[in-house]
Amino acid sequence: MKRITSERVLVQFGLLIVAAAFFVTTFTQTFTPVDLGQSPMFFPRIILVLWMCLALIGLIQSMRQNTHTTPISSWLRLSVVLIATLLYTNTIASEGFFLPSVLFALVCLPAFGRRNPWLIGIFALAVPGSLVLLFNHMLGMPLPTSGFTYLF
Amino acid sequence: MLSSLPEAIGILLSFEGLLVLVLGTILGITLGAMPGIGSTVAVAIVLPFTLTMSQAPAVLLLLAVYAGSVYGGSIAAILINTPGTPQSAATCLDGYPMAQRGDAGLALGWATVASVVGGLVSAVVLIFAAPQLAAFALQFGPIETFSLILLGMTCIVSVSTGSVINGLTAGMIGIFLSTVGGDPILGEMRFTFDNWQLYAGFNLLAVVIGVFALSEVLMRASAPIRTVSELVKFNGVKLPSLAMWKGRFRNLGKSVLIGNVIGVLPGTGAATAAFISYAEGRRSSPNKENFGKGEPDGIVASEAANNAVTGGALVPTMALGIPGDAITAVMLATLTLHGITPGPKLVEDNPTLIAAIFAGFFIINLLLLPLGMLLSRVAAPILRVREAFMMTAIVILCAVGIYFVRGNPFDLLVLGGAGVVGFILRRQGFPMAPLVIGMVLGPTLELTLRQGLILTDGSFKAFFTGSPIALVLAVTAVIALAFPFLRSLKRKTP
Repeated sequence: MKRITSERVLVQFGLLIVAAAFFVTTFTQTFTPVDLGQSPMFFPRIILVLWMCLALIGLIQSMRQNTHTTPISSWLRLSVVLIATLLYTNTIASEGFFLPSVLFALVCLPAFGRRNPWLIGIFALAVPGSLVLLFNHMLGMPLPTSGFTYLF
Repeated sequence: MLSSLPEAIGILLSFEGLLVLVLGTILGITLGAMPGIGSTVAVAIVLPFTLTMSQAPAVLLLLAVYAGSVYGGSIAAILINTPGTPQSAATCLDGYPMAQRGDAGLALGWATVASVVGGLVSAVVLIFAAPQLAAFALQFGPIETFSLILLGMTCIVSVSTGSVINGLTAGMIGIFLSTVGGDPILGEMRFTFDNWQLYAGFNLLAVVIGVFALSEVLMRASAPIRTVSELVKFNGVKLPSLAMWKGRFRNLGKSVLIGNVIGVLPGTGAATAAFISYAEGRRSSPNKENFGKGEPDGIVASEAANNAVTGGALVPTMALGIPGDAITAVMLATLTLHGITPGPKLVEDNPTLIAAIFAGFFIINLLLLPLGMLLSRVAAPILRVREAFMMTAIVILCAVGIYFVRGNPFDLLVLGGAGVVGFILRRQGFPMAPLVIGMVLGPTLELTLRQGLILTDGSFKAFFTGSPIALVLAVTAVIALAFPFLRSLKRKTP
């Protein structure tokens, strides 16, 4: 039972499901009628069938073998970095580059074990600040700015 | 190509040309020296910034970072016993014991000279071999090109690290991602689900950086925090005298040869070359009993081979448009992003660019000697930079780089998504190089398949019965694909 619910099996199963879902959508999209070989879905279908076959073999292999994935050292650290990274890449466009970068550094550095508040503060301000200075004000290739000011 | 050499030298000697060569080598050595960054991440970080440059300087910058990072890896390997790049792992075996003995400067001296010789010879191999191979490949039509790409993909996947099935699956995911967006012949939209942001497909760069650089940050976040190793006493690089080289030239020559041959083979990589060369050095060296205790032959074998791979790996990339490993896949992506179509016509269509790349690669390897000596001293304190600062800076730089390319916020979402998917897949042992290679070669594979089907009136069988070259390539592809399975079967049979 443990082997069937392992992380490796779940990932292989997920890959199989994703490929199958995409394969199903190839029949729901409509295109100009042409020869089979020239259909826009001809090549993707071949690839998706191969993907499904490989995912199935991978799934069977994972269920038969007793290989373990390297354990996560700290779920908290991973979750913090993962969420911070996703929020960061999602908010740059709306909130500008500088503020999300400062916040990201303020969250990420302690997550990776840094505890010196001065060092964290200086890094969080200096790295994004120098990039804004370089791109927006020296090179004239602006990074997104916040709604508060055009300066950063 | 030779007739374009004066123009190419003009590009190299321009301010921009010289700047990218020097700056790229410095960046490469510095990033390569940082443990865990590696050549692929180093090249991926720099890649977006090349998009504002013209074609030749952009490719040269990446080549300089590539060659520099391979050398830079040896600095960390020797001074803190942690290879900066995987290809420098073999250097640790003798480099660190030698440094512990108080000869860190000399150990780096051996590594520097061996790296420069390996890199220079590989540049010569690249200059002579790539145009010949490309000239032969010019006879290829769509059918032969299809078989060639198929061969390239099977070779790469069949030598993937870890599970072959995982490598093939990653390759399929990459090819599938390349089909999102407009159909190459009819222009009709596929898998866009009425999202106009997907009409042009996924941004290759965002995916490349996501699966390599961002996923690396997440991998580090999931692993125990690394402690910073103590530095051994180091007062700068000390080059070995000519007398010290006596009896070691054979080992150097053999290592360079191993590196070049392995480099040309798709998918093997510099780490494999370094270990094979180290093993061969240990087998044949007159000082074999000293291997592992700080023997210069061990450092020479590893460093000459891993730097010799750089030029060798560029041969199939430049001549056939088939990347040999993750780094050359990123290089190929760069060419595509700059509007250059990789493949046999690359040399014929862009003689000046190719001449500049080849001559530039030679200069980069020459620059490794002075810059390596200078930077080893400067790079030593960099080795003590904490992981936290390095990882945070990588994410910020990746975001800047991606936004910089098209100014499209959607690319940042793709970057984040690719990072998370890359992390999940890497944790389960899926190699990321086949995914990128699939994404780069996928469009050509589809286009040539469909063009071939038009030429043969829809007969797939005629692909192989009508063209001997295609048949040979297809048979080789099948052998390459079957080889790892046969090898594992043989291992299981008592």
